[in-house]
Amino acid sequence: ASSAQKPADYVYFKREPQLFSREAIPRATAAKMRLEQHYKMAVEHAIERNQRRIETEKKHAMRQNQVSSSAELAQIQQRRQVAFERLGDKETHFVRLRRTKIGLDDFKTVKVIGKGAFGEVRLVQKKDTGKIYAMKTLLKSEMFKKDQLAHVRAERDVLAENKSPWVVNLYYSFQDAKYLYLLMEFLPGGDLMTMLIKYDTFSEDVTRFYMAECVLAIEAVHTLGFVHRDIKPDNILIDKKGHVKLTDFGLSTGFHKKHTAQYYQRLLDQGGSEAKKDRNSVAIDKINLTMSRHDQIQTWKTNRRKLAYSTVGTPDYIAPEIFLQQGYNHSCDWWSLGAIMFECLVGYPPFCAESAHETYRKIISFREHLYFPDDVQLSFEAEDLIRRLMCAPEYRLGRNNAAEIKQHPFFAGVDWSCIRQIDAPFVPHLRSITDTSYFPTEEFESVPETPAGADVTGDSKDLAFMGYTFRRMTMNEF
Amino acid sequence: PSSNSNPSKPLFLCQPFVKAALVKGSFKTIVVLPKHVDVNEWVAINLFDFFHNLNAFYGVISETVTIENNPTMSAGVNFDYTWIDQSRKLVKLPAPTYIDYVMVWVQSLLNDELVFPTKQHNYFQPTFPSSAKHIYKQLFRVFAHLYWAHFTSFLHLSLEGHLNSLFAHFVAFGTEFDLIDQRDVNGSGVGELMKLWKDQGTLDL
Ligand SMILES: Nc1ncnc2c1ncn2[C@@H]1O[C@H](COP(=O)(O)OP(=O)(O)OP(=O)(O)O)[C@@H](O)[C@H]1O
Repeated sequence: ASSAQKPADYVYFKREPQLFSREAIPRATAAKMRLEQHYKMAVEHAIERNQRRIETEKKHAMRQNQVSSSAELAQIQQRRQVAFERLGDKETHFVRLRRTKIGLDDFKTVKVIGKGAFGEVRLVQKKDTGKIYAMKTLLKSEMFKKDQLAHVRAERDVLAENKSPWVVNLYYSFQDAKYLYLLMEFLPGGDLMTMLIKYDTFSEDVTRFYMAECVLAIEAVHTLGFVHRDIKPDNILIDKKGHVKLTDFGLSTGFHKKHTAQYYQRLLDQGGSEAKKDRNSVAIDKINLTMSRHDQIQTWKTNRRKLAYSTVGTPDYIAPEIFLQQGYNHSCDWWSLGAIMFECLVGYPPFCAESAHETYRKIISFREHLYFPDDVQLSFEAEDLIRRLMCAPEYRLGRNNAAEIKQHPFFAGVDWSCIRQIDAPFVPHLRSITDTSYFPTEEFESVPETPAGADVTGDSKDLAFMGYTFRRMTMNEF
Repeated sequence: PSSNSNPSKPLFLCQPFVKAALVKGSFKTIVVLPKHVDVNEWVAINLFDFFHNLNAFYGVISETVTIENNPTMSAGVNFDYTWIDQSRKLVKLPAPTYIDYVMVWVQSLLNDELVFPTKQHNYFQPTFPSSAKHIYKQLFRVFAHLYWAHFTSFLHLSLEGHLNSLFAHFVAFGTEFDLIDQRDVNGSGVGELMKLWKDQGTLDL
């Protein structure tokens, strides 16, 4: 019946995909998706390019209206021309970047500056441009599931698009058979863990500054739709002006072994059975508490770095609901902030113990174990804020929004809108762009310059995966 | 059972397939040289993308492209493309061999820092426009053969809309930057297709 409306050359074709091998269908799907992605991106890029051009035009048109003399006009026209030449260079560079493959051999290691659970962080220099980056390597076999890589990349895309001054910028990522490489902006001021090891404790004013910046940083992460889940002093980095940025957290969500539910369960079970065997553990707590605070801090500090480098990681800042697998939401990050604030003022985190198991146990029964030592003088506001962050999630400050925390009396007088612009309490003194004096580099002397087993031949180069980061490039790369 | 009234007419020229498309609207937005961008850089990234996308489509159906079924690089009725061998002689090659040569050759050029520079202080050679034209020409021939000899495979896998858009984009780009060699077009099946699309307004450049 319908054939009446069909054109004369209308063809009915019976599709028989089963004629093809089993690989053909997923390949067809992949080719389709690839092309769809390609056109979406092509249109987006065209729009963004237009916006950048219009912005430049606007800026220079406005200036032309305010001209009085002809000499001034010539000067303005000259400036306008330079601006468009620069824009052209940037646009051309961006187009080229999409073809550029990046591999380990494009970078030269300056120094190993950090170590995490799954690899090291190196200060590197890109050979052709001379630009400095922090390169984080992640051992792929240590990552929980290979197929989560795609998921991580998707998250990273979101991050790359949503530039925030509170989050470390990512410029490139690539991989070889063994490692995933992330090239980030280098933050020369080190991290909060190193700072706490150096200073033991901060005054309430200094603590207020770092905590206020962290509140804004965590809020920014939440606004992007992420829950960090692993906020700890090692992840809080200090930029060249002494302000705070959070390290890359695309990797935090369900990625590392230490984050999986079963993993916690296993540790808890192990911890539990040990505790039963050793009923004296309560007594050990008591002995610890009678130690002088100085001793306590010293013991904690000697173990702190070792813990940071171990695969178990440090559980000290993780919220109880994450261990208990009752479900959690963004407010688990506010708990972590409470634990960090405690450490800033007291010198060690609230549940520090001889072993990770012991710490888990204390966190789960935090009501009995959150203890403020008598010899530390905390203001009422500081203790109150910590207690309101380190409580059950249904009462926790920040569960509705970050404003709840900002309004707490501890933060009275903080100018939230321009804290990043004010002078930081510690501004790093840097002699060069490759100054690593804020990093415990002597601890990494035995770490090889290139990761063991990495592909240094350049054979497995990867596309630079930079599709979305041009806006950041304009700010930081030029 | 096909009810094709004109069985000799290739399926890609027939309704509804000739109209199948992934993208709507003019390709102008993504084809024309963006203001302030270097033309070589723009041609380079587009050839790069066309190569990778075409390679992905060829990869899907390559299992059906055999030497036995495709003794020549056919693209129309009595229309075969020839390859210039090392002694500069024109030779007819089986299609899979021909396509392999093209793909390996283009890939090696794309990886050649002298032809397709990517590093900070490397620039395009004055010969780049002519290299680009060569690459475009060979990629065009691969499209032409895939349409002529393998379109039903794409139909079976429901890829015709995507393939049409990729090829239409490729033609629009070749037209804009004067890369198309009419000797490869006239007499080929895709030559007919390009005419039809022009008349329909699918290709409005
Ligand atoms: N962008 C950077 N700039 C300067 N130093 C950095 C940077 N990223 C990381 N570091 C240093 O390296 C150390 C380890 O990095 P990071 O905490 O990211 O690794 P990790 O512990 O493996 O990560 P995760 O917290 O995901 O387990 C940091 O504590 C910091 O001292």
